Amino acid sequence: MKLIITGILAGLLATTAAKAEDMVFTSWGGTTQEAQTKSWAEPFTAASGIKVMQDGPTDYGKLKAMVDSGSVNWDVVDVEMDFAIKAAKDGLLEPIDFTSVPKADLDPRFTTDHAVGSFYYSFVLAWNKGAVSGEPAGWADMFDLKKFPGKRTFYKWSAPGVIEIALLADGVPADKLYPLDLDRAFKKLDTIKSDIIWWGGGAESQQLIASGEAAFGQLWNGRVFALEKDGADVGVSWNQNLTAADVLVVPKGAKNKDTAMKFLAAASSPAGQAKFAEASGYAPINTKAKAEMPADAVKSLPDAHVDGQINLDMNYWAANRDTIAARWYAWQAK
Amino acid sequence: MDETVRAVSSCSRVAAMSVEIRRNFGTVRVPAGLNGLLPALILIVLFFVVPVLVLLLRSVTEPEPGLQNYAALLGDGTYARVFFNTFLVAALVTIVTVLVAFPVAWMLAIVPSGLASIVFGIIILSMWTNLLTRTYAWMVLLQRTGVINRTLMATGVIDQPLPLINNLTGVTIGMVYIMLPFMILPLVGTLRAIDPMTLRAASLCGASPFQAFRRILLPLSLPGVAAGGLMVFVMSLGYFVTPALLGGTSNMMLAEMIAQMVQSLLNWGLGSAAAFILLVVTMALYALQLRLAGARRMSGGI
Repeated sequence: MKLIITGILAGLLATTAAKAEDMVFTSWGGTTQEAQTKSWAEPFTAASGIKVMQDGPTDYGKLKAMVDSGSVNWDVVDVEMDFAIKAAKDGLLEPIDFTSVPKADLDPRFTTDHAVGSFYYSFVLAWNKGAVSGEPAGWADMFDLKKFPGKRTFYKWSAPGVIEIALLADGVPADKLYPLDLDRAFKKLDTIKSDIIWWGGGAESQQLIASGEAAFGQLWNGRVFALEKDGADVGVSWNQNLTAADVLVVPKGAKNKDTAMKFLAAASSPAGQAKFAEASGYAPINTKAKAEMPADAVKSLPDAHVDGQINLDMNYWAANRDTIAARWYAWQAK
Repeated sequence: MDETVRAVSSCSRVAAMSVEIRRNFGTVRVPAGLNGLLPALILIVLFFVVPVLVLLLRSVTEPEPGLQNYAALLGDGTYARVFFNTFLVAALVTIVTVLVAFPVAWMLAIVPSGLASIVFGIIILSMWTNLLTRTYAWMVLLQRTGVINRTLMATGVIDQPLPLINNLTGVTIGMVYIMLPFMILPLVGTLRAIDPMTLRAASLCGASPFQAFRRILLPLSLPGVAAGGLMVFVMSLGYFVTPALLGGTSNMMLAEMIAQMVQSLLNWGLGSAAAFILLVVTMALYALQLRLAGARRMSGGI
């Protein structure tokens, strides 16, 4: 009975139902999903004749509802990597069929048994040149209200990034970040809490910085890249840029599993990755992709800033996601 | 002498009329046969009762059987604050909405019908526009570098931007704007049903405009205010988009917390428990309102 009911609910939730040979790709919308459509879905359709329908935004609750009810309407989903690791443990994902998805050239940092990298990105420090006098040099400056007054913007949700930034600003060495000292991080964040504006999505972060509503903030490098392309007057510091990744997963019980694997192969191929990286400014997860990109496009990738780059520990986050989230939201609501 | 008598009798007629009007509002019509209701009942059971039961079931079975989800919700300061905040915002929004909607509704009720339908059209049109777009429009207006603050600063009224967004002010402004049609529409209905003669009679009896408003118009319009107010309050309790975009994290409302539990933490047990508590409280409020309204009708008092 419960199964039937959740089935009905999930059926109502799902806005897209694919025909047998077509498939559904779900991502976060905005400039990122546009680039994914152009770089992956359209060439894939041209080559195979399989229609790729776009849905979104990614919603972990919806994904779980679909899997629980056995009525899975999404075939490939772009998710955050720490979620992917946890979801695989919870049995929500299909294992990747590496006989159809060539693995040899994929960056091992972003490949697991249940996920293939989508792209990787860095959190960077960006600012509106009109609203900030001087150049913030690193994360510590975001906590210096005297030297850099004004509102600062950070990612709203509990996810790898802000906690690490607070700890780095407080003087924790990069190699001593994990396990995260949450008490210390929240204490540091308390010092600027009333000056924080939270951004919940990429478009919001762009709007905040471009309008000067927030003088500076922690942004995804691709979003800063897009702002620069649009001619916005923004500065960016790659000092201690923090890498994290989105990965592509196939929900357990996806209707078009085999097609999904073919799509993953195309998306993670050198050509697919090169095209997407060029369009979005995010880094490719296929090591051969950069050879296919124009030289000036390679320069704006996180790969060009490996000096002082810090990899956020996805496994640590996957294991501690719930505990950190509980504290995070309690602290935010205070 | 004769005139006094006539005036007094007309006043008592007015009183009788107002009581009658109030009675009419209270009548509930029950159809003779239940057969015609069957499809509607099935629909209600399928789409309202069953999901609620599933919700309840989840809240006491996930992650394991027991009441730990309720214990966690009720025993935690953070959640208590979110509950309190939810009711604070909903109450504030309801009060402000009533204050703004009443004059508008009164105007709509008395202006010539041609003009009224144009204004109605404008109000309804705003409801057709996408909610997210409207909320974003408020963001653009209210933010520190927004139109309102810029104008005020350019004209020298203020020299520091007013904090109009990411706080209670922002949530209230945004939500009142969205709720107004839900208050105005029932209120116009009620106000139009009031015989304008009652007000004329009141002033004939020597009532000042304020007295006429307080003793005649307001009591007669109470059913509309109550209906609209309850709708606004209940809708506000479960509101998500506007508080999420115009409020700060310390103004988090229950719906946002539930969304967080369901979508990002995947803690459906806790989310269901929170949703169920909200449902119970809302139903209790509704029952209370019905009771109060009922009692008022019985006694005939205001």
